[in-house]
Amino acid sequence: MPMHASSDNQPNPPPLLHLEQVSKAFGGVRALTEISFEVGFGRIQGLIGPNGAGKTTLFNLVSGALKPDAGDIHFDGKPIQGRPGHELVALGIARTFQNVELFGSMSVLENVLVGRHVRTRCGFWGALIRHAGVKREEREAREKALELLAFVGLADQADSPSQDLPFGWQRLLEIARALAAEPRVLLLDEPAAGLNRVESDHLGDLIDRIRDQGITILMVEHDMGLTMRVCDRIVVLDHGRLLAQGTPREIQRHPDVLAAYLGKSPTST
Amino acid sequence: MHRHIPYSLFTVLVAVAGLLVTNTYHLQVLIFIGINTLLALGLNLLMGYAGQISLGHAAFYGLGAYTSGVLTAHWQLSPWLALPAALALAAAVAYVVGLPTLRLSGYYLGMGTLGFGMIVFILFREWASLTGGASGLVGIPPLSLGPLPLYEPRAYFYLVWAIVLAAMVLSRRLIDSRVGRALRAIHDSENAARAVGVNTHGYKLQIFVYSAVLAALAGFLYAHFISFISPESFGFMMSVKLVTMVVIGGMASIWGAVFGAALLTLLPEWLHAFADFEMIVYGLILITVMIFMPQGLTRGLIDAYARFKRQSAQPAPPVAP
Repeated sequence: MPMHASSDNQPNPPPLLHLEQVSKAFGGVRALTEISFEVGFGRIQGLIGPNGAGKTTLFNLVSGALKPDAGDIHFDGKPIQGRPGHELVALGIARTFQNVELFGSMSVLENVLVGRHVRTRCGFWGALIRHAGVKREEREAREKALELLAFVGLADQADSPSQDLPFGWQRLLEIARALAAEPRVLLLDEPAAGLNRVESDHLGDLIDRIRDQGITILMVEHDMGLTMRVCDRIVVLDHGRLLAQGTPREIQRHPDVLAAYLGKSPTST
Repeated sequence: MHRHIPYSLFTVLVAVAGLLVTNTYHLQVLIFIGINTLLALGLNLLMGYAGQISLGHAAFYGLGAYTSGVLTAHWQLSPWLALPAALALAAAVAYVVGLPTLRLSGYYLGMGTLGFGMIVFILFREWASLTGGASGLVGIPPLSLGPLPLYEPRAYFYLVWAIVLAAMVLSRRLIDSRVGRALRAIHDSENAARAVGVNTHGYKLQIFVYSAVLAALAGFLYAHFISFISPESFGFMMSVKLVTMVVIGGMASIWGAVFGAALLTLLPEWLHAFADFEMIVYGLILITVMIFMPQGLTRGLIDAYARFKRQSAQPAPPVAP
């Protein structure tokens, strides 16, 4: 595909995210076993696999919601496993959720403003005194939030209650909120789930535009059309193990992947 | 900014009320409303905005009252030196108690704070050498500012309400800031709050300490006004009453704290007329408010006003043939 020619010409950009021998078990259930892969700078990397393959667990490990039992996760060369999630956001790892989790009592704009949390500083005393620096920061945060709403196409909804948005727009808002943290890597957990054809095409364009801003993307997705279209590389998980990784074209032909998805044994293909 | 108008109007209202009300009893009731507003305000930030319940908030009220009371009555310290000590102690206790308990949520946080309230109440009652025990602590000096006596009801009224207004404005600022948004985010979805980088435990702790300091301030004002304190004023029933003020007044509303505190202070006074039936009528009124205004008085009155405006704007819709 000529669309991503620039990144395809660089087969091995330096890794921004690097997982090595990462394992996680819940009680006796091994959710992930010795997973190792890299996500290069500026890549859009897909993470696919049947239900229960461990995709969301892997997201929770990378975003700091869970701690790995074993193995290392490096972000930009530094180990991050076991650090609390809110610190990782400040480092540059932002995420969205499989079942959109917005701040329901807030307006669309306020949701994005909360997303600015790690890029703003006003603390307890600053809020009480409300000195000039705090007012300026608040104004800048608002401008930035409005820019992001325009970027995802929700500029005219800024003052709507976020709960009143149709589901597809709530997804876009959640992405705008994640972008407000100025992440270096964005983790999208099934961003197309619940979207119709038109909406998921629009989402594909948006993901391309996010990458064009220099943001690396790791996304879990069931919509194969979207995954094959936007991803540079794909990692396939099955039963908590890494089954295959490669370009979309390689993955589509990979015998183990076909077996996992279609139930064929590798030899019978 | 239109947001400031209600506060300016309210300030004028308070100033005028202080001039017009001359009856000492009425001034006293207004002073108690002010003290209860401070308590409800802090708890409203914690419950209504950050979504964390405290069933032991009277403990901080009592810590403020007893710290200042003991320091001034036993050791003749100036109340103005006792005040920072009282606030600091309440803040420190809130921090130490909040550190483990605020990791709990929902019912468990309720149980944790309930237990804390019980322990502090028992300390007030049993540490008799310091607190006077069950019979209470007497001889707490009144406040004066240099040559200016503040113990006169009218002066005390102005003192209390100046502090309440300041606390309301500061709380409004807090809510409208990055900190306030983080607190509301925690209330809406703790998961999502963490995912945007909010240190949820840290913020819960901050607002817990803030509400404890407001409660201790209320305790200070209470102790030096009535000059006598006993453990019963700071027990479980008081904690429940504070939660009721917040819920009746309206969660996540600064004005809700004022309405809730006013209603729950005034009702018992008005209901003396019902004598034996006082508690029954009291309960019935609270139940009625909750049935017809489940969001609390503030929201309920705003909605009623909006309905009234709609009805008067569209007179009699045409009747279909």
